[in-house]
Amino acid sequence: MNTNNNVYTVIYTTVIVVVAAAILSVAAMALKPMQQANIKAETISQMLMAAGLTDTDALSRMSNDQILSMYSEKARAAFIIDAAGQKTGELNTEVSDIELQDNLKLENKNIASGNPSLPVYVFDKDGEEINVIPVYGAGLWGPVWGYIAFNASCTEIVGAYFDHSSETPGLGAKIKDEAWFRDQFKGERVNFSKPDDSFDIVKGGAPAGVKDDSQVDAITGATMTCNGLEAALDTWFKAYMPFLMMKAEAAAAEVCCEDGCQEGCQDCEQTNNETVQEG
Amino acid sequence: MNEDLKKTLLNPIFKGNPITVLVLGICSSLAVTVQLKGALVMALSVIIVTGISSLIVSLLRNSIPNRVRIIVQLVVVAMMVILVDQVLRAYAYSIDKQLSVYIGLIITNCIVMGRIEAFALGNKPIPSLLDGLANGAGYGMILVIVAFFRELLGSGTLLGFRVLPASYVPNNLVILPPMALILLGCIVWVQRSIQKDLQEK
Repeated sequence: MNTNNNVYTVIYTTVIVVVAAAILSVAAMALKPMQQANIKAETISQMLMAAGLTDTDALSRMSNDQILSMYSEKARAAFIIDAAGQKTGELNTEVSDIELQDNLKLENKNIASGNPSLPVYVFDKDGEEINVIPVYGAGLWGPVWGYIAFNASCTEIVGAYFDHSSETPGLGAKIKDEAWFRDQFKGERVNFSKPDDSFDIVKGGAPAGVKDDSQVDAITGATMTCNGLEAALDTWFKAYMPFLMMKAEAAAAEVCCEDGCQEGCQDCEQTNNETVQEG
Repeated sequence: MNEDLKKTLLNPIFKGNPITVLVLGICSSLAVTVQLKGALVMALSVIIVTGISSLIVSLLRNSIPNRVRIIVQLVVVAMMVILVDQVLRAYAYSIDKQLSVYIGLIITNCIVMGRIEAFALGNKPIPSLLDGLANGAGYGMILVIVAFFRELLGSGTLLGFRVLPASYVPNNLVILPPMALILLGCIVWVQRSIQKDLQEK
């Protein structure tokens, strides 16, 4: 048989490609449930790490099931909010109902169009309430995303965790690999007075002394990744801002009423807000 | 015949090692040898890909149209690599993330295509399978040796378990890619001083 015949060549390559595609589709379908379970466990472990409930060492020894049960145990509530910060839906914490990275990508588009449904995860850490929100944006080569953990009143960041799909190892990839980078977010605040630019990752380092409470140092050699991450933080913080501010006001009002002030709570709420912002 | 098979199997491991003698597949051997675990998984993946791709191409060798043979080989290799990647993603997710793009880059690893072109196209399936497996093993062996020293000296651990006392200060240079090249150079040096016929005049 003449294998150099044109018709033979075309038919041969077509058959080979179709067979290879069929084998790969079957494999992808068969393995998909396990891969999804892995991705889900990873997403949950990133939230747990942001909330400071576990660390990388402990996680590396845990199976997927252990991670899921840890989530069910520590999660107090999980819900969806709209652009105005109002609760529009519940997520089931018992079955570890969470939004995966694909959904974050979708929500990132919805934020731009002004109609997002944003998830909030509430954890219980030694009796303290921790609110975890996701952020998502474009890095240099691909998406970067992460989870930011706030204290009960949403006025202070208590932890953060970042991940990326294809940033350069040794440079942009440090947003995930270097613990110092995510540790600097502890104690920072979202600047409510600048909704469009509520958080800064400062190239060359946040200046000492005049540094305000919503600035962290950027990573040397990873300017594009840091710019992308800052844009992601600004965009998502802006989308969550009505919710965060409502939590902050509610907490301030509560403190004021506990202190037993005589005037209407509205007034002391304002003074409280001022002191919070000065401090 | 048995002598031939034995030679096919043993030659790529030492005398004709793909990394130290043919100098193929250097890129990935620098990137995935920081930890022994990653190097072992990478070695196993390459062994499977080179072995099975060689076998498939050898089975098809009389029917492949000569003009498109590289494309057909590439389809077979790419299919095997994607299969390995999918399986790792399902059963060893953390290692798959750690090896990241390097699993996908096995497609472009010169060892795979090189052995298919040079051996599998002209030989029967069984010797081709052995040749593929042996070349993968030769590659994997160097990977494991380099990773052994890099993890031991760079982190003081082996397969994640602490071997050197906690007072040992990890050598950060060993973790960086240049040290893999230096170690590779040392292995080539050792091999050439044993095997004098490899030395250039």
